[in-house]
Amino acid sequence: MEHKIEELKAAANDAIKKVATDLKELDNLRVRFLGKKGELTALLRGMSQLSAEDRPRIGKIVNEARAQIENLIAEKNSELKAKALQDKLAAETIDITLPGRKIHSGHLHPLTLTLNRVKEIFINMGYSVEDGPEVETDYYNFEALNLPKSHPARDAQDSFYITEEILLRTQTSPVQARTMQKHKDNAPIRMIAPGRVYRRDDFDAAHSPMFHQIEGLVIDEKITFGDLVGTLDFFCKEMFGESTKIRLRPSYFPFTEPSTEVDVSCPICHGHGGGCKVCHDSGWLEILGAGEVHPRVLEMSGYNPSKVSGYAFGCGLERIAMIKYGIDDLRLFYENDVRFLNQF
Amino acid sequence: MQVSLNWLKDFLNIDCTTEELAEKFTMSGNPVENIVKAGAGLEKVVTGKVEKIERHPDSDHMYICQMNVGAGELLQIVTGAQNVNQNDIVPVALVGAYLPCGKKISKGKLRGVVSNGMLCSRNELNIEGDSSGIFILPNDTPVGVPVAQVLGLDDVLEFELTANRGDCFSVFGLVREAGVLLNQTPKFPEIKVTEDAGKNSADLIEIKIDAPDLCSRFSARVLTDVKLAPSPEWMQKRLEGAGIRSINNVVDVTNFVMVELGQPLHAYDYDEIKGKVLNARRAVAGEQLHTLDDSNRLAKGGELVIADAEKAAGLAGVMGGFETEITEKTKTVVLEAASFNSASIRRTSRAVGLHSEASGRFERGVNEKATITALDRAAQLLQEMGACKVCSGVVDVYPAPKSEVKVQFTCKQINDRLGTSYSEKEILDVLKSLGFKISEVGGEVDSDDVIDKISSAAKHFGAAAKELAQNTEVDDFVQSIGKTVGELIKRSNSESFTTYEAIVPEWRNDVTLMEDLSEEVARIYGYDKIPSTLPKGSQQGGQSKFQNFTDKIKNILSSLGMYEEISFAFTHPDMFDKLQIPADSELRKAVPIKNPLTDEYPLLRTTLLSSVLENAARNYSRKNEDVRLFEIAPVFYPKSLPITEQPLEVQKLVGLIMGRREPKGWTQNNVEVDFYDMKGIVEELFAGLAISNYTVEVGEHYALHPGKTAHFKKGREILATVGEVHPKVTESLGINKKVFVFEADVETLMKYTAKKFTFENLPKYPAISRDLAILVNLGVAAGEIEKVIAKNAGKFFKEVTLFDVYTGERISADKKSLAFNIKFQSNERTLTDAEADESFKNILAAVEKNFEAKLR
Repeated sequence: MEHKIEELKAAANDAIKKVATDLKELDNLRVRFLGKKGELTALLRGMSQLSAEDRPRIGKIVNEARAQIENLIAEKNSELKAKALQDKLAAETIDITLPGRKIHSGHLHPLTLTLNRVKEIFINMGYSVEDGPEVETDYYNFEALNLPKSHPARDAQDSFYITEEILLRTQTSPVQARTMQKHKDNAPIRMIAPGRVYRRDDFDAAHSPMFHQIEGLVIDEKITFGDLVGTLDFFCKEMFGESTKIRLRPSYFPFTEPSTEVDVSCPICHGHGGGCKVCHDSGWLEILGAGEVHPRVLEMSGYNPSKVSGYAFGCGLERIAMIKYGIDDLRLFYENDVRFLNQF
Repeated sequence: MQVSLNWLKDFLNIDCTTEELAEKFTMSGNPVENIVKAGAGLEKVVTGKVEKIERHPDSDHMYICQMNVGAGELLQIVTGAQNVNQNDIVPVALVGAYLPCGKKISKGKLRGVVSNGMLCSRNELNIEGDSSGIFILPNDTPVGVPVAQVLGLDDVLEFELTANRGDCFSVFGLVREAGVLLNQTPKFPEIKVTEDAGKNSADLIEIKIDAPDLCSRFSARVLTDVKLAPSPEWMQKRLEGAGIRSINNVVDVTNFVMVELGQPLHAYDYDEIKGKVLNARRAVAGEQLHTLDDSNRLAKGGELVIADAEKAAGLAGVMGGFETEITEKTKTVVLEAASFNSASIRRTSRAVGLHSEASGRFERGVNEKATITALDRAAQLLQEMGACKVCSGVVDVYPAPKSEVKVQFTCKQINDRLGTSYSEKEILDVLKSLGFKISEVGGEVDSDDVIDKISSAAKHFGAAAKELAQNTEVDDFVQSIGKTVGELIKRSNSESFTTYEAIVPEWRNDVTLMEDLSEEVARIYGYDKIPSTLPKGSQQGGQSKFQNFTDKIKNILSSLGMYEEISFAFTHPDMFDKLQIPADSELRKAVPIKNPLTDEYPLLRTTLLSSVLENAARNYSRKNEDVRLFEIAPVFYPKSLPITEQPLEVQKLVGLIMGRREPKGWTQNNVEVDFYDMKGIVEELFAGLAISNYTVEVGEHYALHPGKTAHFKKGREILATVGEVHPKVTESLGINKKVFVFEADVETLMKYTAKKFTFENLPKYPAISRDLAILVNLGVAAGEIEKVIAKNAGKFFKEVTLFDVYTGERISADKKSLAFNIKFQSNERTLTDAEADESFKNILAAVEKNFEAKLR
């Protein structure tokens, strides 16, 4: 009996080991050895013929053998399952170098992105954002800015006229006068006015009959030229990076006194030149015009220049965007080629 | 304005480089745009003497020269020039020279004879003058020296002057500026004339001003015994540096004085002046003008002319007359120095299309106090050349002499404006050096100001003391108080109460206010010295609701895969035809531009469709066939035509899609977008803007497919129009593809955006859903069925979703199959199947009744 049990164990061991992949075959072995009609069960049935003192001993041996075979089957079972999973995963391998599934992602225009940043900087400094009409009167576009009809500085801004007195605004400066006139009693103002402006320039890499400006105006008691310098320095550092420097050159605008043109240090080559295409190795890029508001401009819009003073500045949005993104052709902004737009 | 460095050096000791000088000019408000370096390209050109010259053995026109270029050994050079003789001194380009004319000189052989350079003509060296042969230099010219040095070639500064600085359109003006910048007093020449003609100017010529508003002063001098000749070489060089060609001594002197003093002069041939009178008057409309370019011009009327007794002799300040021009025959000259109205000159020179050195100066305004100085200077120069005799006296008509401009100021005002703390001395020194005459006015103390100052000083002191007492040791405390007091004293020094009066120099017509003086101080000390501060106090910034709403639309649409475009506001009537805008539509009444740039864009747009479709067409022509664009921009509606007032500007929104629904890729199918893609984007936009409870109805639109146009509406108001662009419109734009668009009015959208955000809680009890699949006639609108379903679904109705639409072989051709999923839900309990079945039965009955629907 004991011998038979040992034989059976050996047979089971051999058979289980031989099973390579098939879980079904393993199950068949389980039925063959351990099932109701299985070989071990058959051996158990033969126990009735054993003597009473042998019975518990042999019973124990049989149960141990059963446990051993069950163990073997379980081990084999998990081994086969692991292998099956491994095979399945191997079979599922894909070419991960294929490109990802594409979806349409939208894009804001680079000029909008640039303007959003400009607005953010100035709103954080307490500036409001003001609008004005694009078709303006001669009064607001020129006269209220101390540019009477015969003024030679008008030549620099060749205008699109609708009538003698109505034109497409050549600058966002008319929003200055409009905003001042909305206020009373020398009330303080901090505003920017971004928007489209129009000049009779040919459409080429550096000119466009329509472009964008951002006007700024601050009026309060004791606003100094130094406040303008500090504000523009802060703005340029925020816009082009902490290491940016500004340079002020005296200039002339009829609506400011003193007046200045402002250059920023080239954010591309940082003044190191070496064939810089953006600043042509000058190290500086002209970016805006500014100054202390001319007393006549304040007066014309109801402010008292002996009580308050202010500064104003105006810069081209395209210019900032071109510097920021390294774009060298203005036309790209208005052609709206989707291959351009989807880069921003 | 351009001037050579040597001209400035006549009056100043300039020992910095040209670049440094240019930088000083630029940083003080007179920008130097460019420096033309002396002798650029002449680095390897030296003077050489022809020691020996012989014919080339194998050529009938070439010569072999042995040149002494100061190198000890003679240099053999072959030349084809015919004007060279032994002992001539000529410019020699050595091997390696790269001449201004573009020639590179290398060692070579000409018909077998070695040549080590080239003899040069004026042209090859870019030097004005006769260029028919080799440039023969004077025979006392040293040999072997750079030709640039021998010719006195000189750096030229090209200024881009601002419109307010008329005074700097002259050498004297620039020298005055440079003097201040270099801290030197310029040595100007003495202007003195000997009147030796034995006649009085006043006896020979009468000067009249009939238009005193356009001519404020007219001065004249008469010169006799005029001998026309070339002007001396030094003057020609100065003029060349200023970009003016030499003509003859008389014309050259008038130009020279104009550049030197800034006062344009005109020379008349006295014998050709009819009636011996010159009158500054307005032209009569239609009056003939024979100008010195020998063209006959018709006056529009009102232009300022200088006329003799018979007719207009020239356009004042712009172009002289033909008959009175200086010629070989001229014996007696009348010199004119006048001051003309800048606006009038500007108008005339624009109308004639002629911007001369003279008109440019008049436009910026000349110093009318200096007309006689200019006449004297010209007479002096011509006299020194032996070219004339000078009549005594000047004929001077100056009806309303300009009075001195006086500006009162305190140094505190200037410092307050600039944010600086310059001392009185610093401020007054700058102004004095610029020619302002300063005197004290009373010096009354403003008592309010003093009280202000004392109380402010006390406040500063108190605040400083309080802070320091808390934070620092006693020693530091005492030291800091000392420092604060020191600063207060320094400040009070700069904040002087003395009121000064500055008499503005006669040449500065741009200074009339204290503010102008503040700029003078700032620019001379340098803008880089202005302390960088920020405005005190604070204000609430931000955007308007409308601006925020616009930004929100842009953000939603870009999150829906749309690209923002920015396009020109212009359009063309052809575009109205292409868009099929009806002939009587208001949209054709666009604002016309009086002076459009080209014929392409004569109008302001009345619809954004024109812009977005043009952009789509441009992309399509560039083979970008998948396009998704939107734009927010104004359109312009005239209030009346012709225009009498500013038009309405209305902010519109437009969107466009065409091409593949999904970007091109290996997994994607290449299905193209359709109407429902565009509609879906608008629905998502509305959801994002919290616009709800709108209806969608069949619509009509001039540019859209009649069967594929929808209006999104609130009551009768259209919120948006969505549709497929009419195939004839796409065809006219050259787009061979289906294009879908929407347009909306931004203010209208904002009107219907929910003011409050409402939050719906998540359901506590499960929903029950039923599917309803029906057959209906093709013409039945699914939207109508949905409405009937919603109406008949009972109180537990939650939502209905159309999830399948089928037409095709499996059903008859005039039918379509629609499948709806209908959801029922209660907030109080779990619904029973029976309740859902009951509602479903009611829905089915209503649908069968209303649409002759059959359950599938």
